[in-house]
Amino acid sequence: MQKTITTTLLLAALAACAPVLADEAASSAVAALGERIFHDTSLSSSGKMACSTCHDPASAHAQTNDLAVQLGGPDLATPGFRAVPSLRYMNLNLPFFFANDGTPTGGFTHDGGAKDLVEQAHTPLLAAHEMDNVNAAGFTARLGRAAYAAAFRAVFGTDVFADPERALLAAEYALSEYQNTSREFRPFDSKFDLFLQRKIMLSAQELRGMVLFNRPDKGNCASCHTSTRQADGQPPVFTDYTYDNLGVPRNPDIPANADPAYFDMGLCGPFRTDLSARTDLCGQFKVPTLRNVATRHVFFHNGVFHDLKTAIEFYVQRDTNPSRWYPLDANGRVHKFDDIPALMTRNVNTTEAPYNRKPGQAPALSDAEIDDVVAFLKTLTDGYDPITNSADPARSARDVKRGDE
Amino acid sequence: MKHRILALAIAACCATLALPARADDATLKAEMDALRAEVAALKAEVEQMRAASAAPVATSKPAPAVNAEPVPALAATTAPAGGGVDSGYALGANTTLWGYGQLDYNRPTARPADARADLTRAVLGFNHVFDESTRVYGELEWEHAIASADDAGESEVEQLYIEHALAPNYGVRAGLMLVPIGLLNEHHEPTQFYGVERNFVEQAIIPSTWREGGVAGYGNTDSGFQWDIGLVTSPDLGKWDPTSPDGRESPLGAIHQELQLSKAHDLSLWARLNWLGVPGLNVGGAVFAGKIGQDTSKQFEGDANFPADNARLLLGETHVRWQSGPWDLTALYTRGTISDTQDLNLGFLGQPTPVPKAFWGGYAQAAWKALAWNQSSLVPFLRFEAFNTGAAYATQPQGFGTPALPTQRVWTAGVNYYLNPNVVFKFDYQDFRYDDELLNYGNRFDLGIGFQF
Ligand code: HEC
Ligand code: HEC
Repeated sequence: MQKTITTTLLLAALAACAPVLADEAASSAVAALGERIFHDTSLSSSGKMACSTCHDPASAHAQTNDLAVQLGGPDLATPGFRAVPSLRYMNLNLPFFFANDGTPTGGFTHDGGAKDLVEQAHTPLLAAHEMDNVNAAGFTARLGRAAYAAAFRAVFGTDVFADPERALLAAEYALSEYQNTSREFRPFDSKFDLFLQRKIMLSAQELRGMVLFNRPDKGNCASCHTSTRQADGQPPVFTDYTYDNLGVPRNPDIPANADPAYFDMGLCGPFRTDLSARTDLCGQFKVPTLRNVATRHVFFHNGVFHDLKTAIEFYVQRDTNPSRWYPLDANGRVHKFDDIPALMTRNVNTTEAPYNRKPGQAPALSDAEIDDVVAFLKTLTDGYDPITNSADPARSARDVKRGDE
Repeated sequence: MKHRILALAIAACCATLALPARADDATLKAEMDALRAEVAALKAEVEQMRAASAAPVATSKPAPAVNAEPVPALAATTAPAGGGVDSGYALGANTTLWGYGQLDYNRPTARPADARADLTRAVLGFNHVFDESTRVYGELEWEHAIASADDAGESEVEQLYIEHALAPNYGVRAGLMLVPIGLLNEHHEPTQFYGVERNFVEQAIIPSTWREGGVAGYGNTDSGFQWDIGLVTSPDLGKWDPTSPDGRESPLGAIHQELQLSKAHDLSLWARLNWLGVPGLNVGGAVFAGKIGQDTSKQFEGDANFPADNARLLLGETHVRWQSGPWDLTALYTRGTISDTQDLNLGFLGQPTPVPKAFWGGYAQAAWKALAWNQSSLVPFLRFEAFNTGAAYATQPQGFGTPALPTQRVWTAGVNYYLNPNVVFKFDYQDFRYDDELLNYGNRFDLGIGFQF
């Protein structure tokens, strides 16, 4: 709360000393600054890392390599803790809250700990495993040397660099304006969008995959990865921005996991601290958008899988063939849900399709059906070109830029 | 129960039900004609009976409240929806307060854990007369006892309109009005229908309580015709949620707007014609037709028009009700179609609830005032209903079509016990052809309390 008030006051102050902010041109000037910051590697202790290093527009604003966690810090050797989410189709106006029925909803990052994009930008700019500016002074010193420092002053006040806290907040605000306003982050130009607009038809296999994705008795994927329009008419974004505990296997490739006592439990910590008493929420992570999912290099918050088909196989075989996914314990029994403290494994969702089955039962989707679902998910990639029947998120980012000019 | 007339009525009604299951719009009129013929036969059959008993069945119309002020005659001929001006409590010379309430208990026999007791509705209405020819009529309702952001209840305005009589027998209305279709929509007080719950056909096919905003004309003729015509807001197909069972429970109930910031790009027409020429008889029908796409277009950049922008709704209904002596016999059939749903449903492939192309329902009901003493009466009844909220779906690419839903059939047998004409206690048993847990359909006992003043 304290922090919220401070942020609000600071933003108000910023707005006051730069009255031009009120109009749209100014807002786009702010967004333009945000875009430059987003791509500026000089704003890191290594001099080699920007937001776009991990959130590359060509990879739908996600990571370009297949590391489970990215390496940052002064010599790009300090490992992070989670896989990089795509920044496309984030829900912009939904700070974290509990819905009427108690469902955690909204917020930014895998655990919803960041209230909005201003607050979110704080972490990567300063954190030791990311851009590693340590504090506002460190960041402001680098920002003051940037080629666009004069433009920054023109927008936020000539004395803005004199107050590092203010300069940092202004930069975070610029970043959030950029992500909020640029259509690069929500082009809605996938094959599926053209299909919804009745401009093209999906192939029979893609349609089959869509049916399996939606059917409550098959994939049941749409119950969390919403595939219908929002109430306000917005095309589907394939997430309902809620949280769930899928019990994904522990990933030994994450260095922090070398410590057997370390668990990343999402909503209840350790990164997020306000819900640590809610042990029933331990292990829950935000439902990600599945738009551009076929372009991802790693899957789930801990990047444990490297291929889309495997990720879906995990969904349908987690409970029918657990030995494929989890290691054996000391007694030679399958240690199911090994990435959650033993006492909390009951938090894992075992009631909803497709993971409501028992060993020996047939998985909810057959191998051929999983291929159909994969084919459907591939229609969700941005930058679709009907002539070549191929999609490329880099293309849509480029096209949007051209359109903006 | 074994009375000849009853058997005949049920047979006649069932015949009308069986026929239309495969009917399309064009046959609606034919069905109405057939129904008329059957009514004529029925009329002949009951002629003797009518002579035998004079008192109408208790439910036909509540007795005027003792202290009701005299009200201008303007609306007396077309009884307004709801409580009506002839009941209620006078709040001064020009204003009448009226109301009704309904409390239910449902106990599914197979799932006793789903038994529910509910204060289904508490309603207050008013009728305020401005002058000889103008009045305002309103109905305010609370459903399920508590309405707040965290509770299941709702608080709503069901009707609110100005009525202006242009002559003693016709006039105009403007505002939020009940759609004059079917028998229940305008007369939905618990004392007015048999059984604890409203019949399914007039909830699933004709949503209950269905109201739209707009302007309407009403009137009646010396020859016994009652007519209504209106230009009103339409449902909004953009509200359709294919992931929810709501559209399977009631296709129109899922998309009507209730004048709640209603999208009003597309409007609808309603028209009704009843013949009430013989006391106790009500035979007639109604249609509601209009576009329902609401031009939900281009709200988002890169977005296309709403895929069902041209969708049209056509809902037709025909009924006959014959109240004579101890008998109250009813048959009703209704059928709706929604056009141009193919593209919309294509985007819903695999979802549990696509938009139906056709839906229909019908019922036959017989009630018999078995006992009457002082103000009280005991009225057993039997009702058979058949309805299908997804009787047909628009075609899709080979192999991706949606099969029609199975037709639900419900028998309801029970009794209304009127302590007096305005206070009723009800009991019934309902037998469903198939269970549907999501819609709460399954054999059950119901208990109810209802009143109106
Ligand atoms: C070293 C790689 C890296 C860099 C550099 C980086 N991020 Fe991230 N980003 C991540 C990871 C990992 C997460 C997930 C964090 C978590 O869940 O705790 C993330 C999450 C986010 C999210 C939340 C997305 C969502 O779906 O809720 C936003 C927004 C974001 N980053 C913006 C930025 C911005 C702006 C910058 C530059 C200031 C930036 N990131 C720099 C790795 C990076
Ligand atoms: C009960 C809710 C729920 C259902 C049902 C569900 N998901 Fe998910 N999905 C999630 C959550 C939560 C995550 C993130 C979990 C994590 O990061 O640990 C996720 C993540 C994913 C990912 C990884 C995406 C990424 O960015 O890493 C894929 C792929 C995916 N889901 C596909 C599917 C498919 C296909 C289905 C249907 C077979 C499905 N999901 C059903 C909740 C659900």
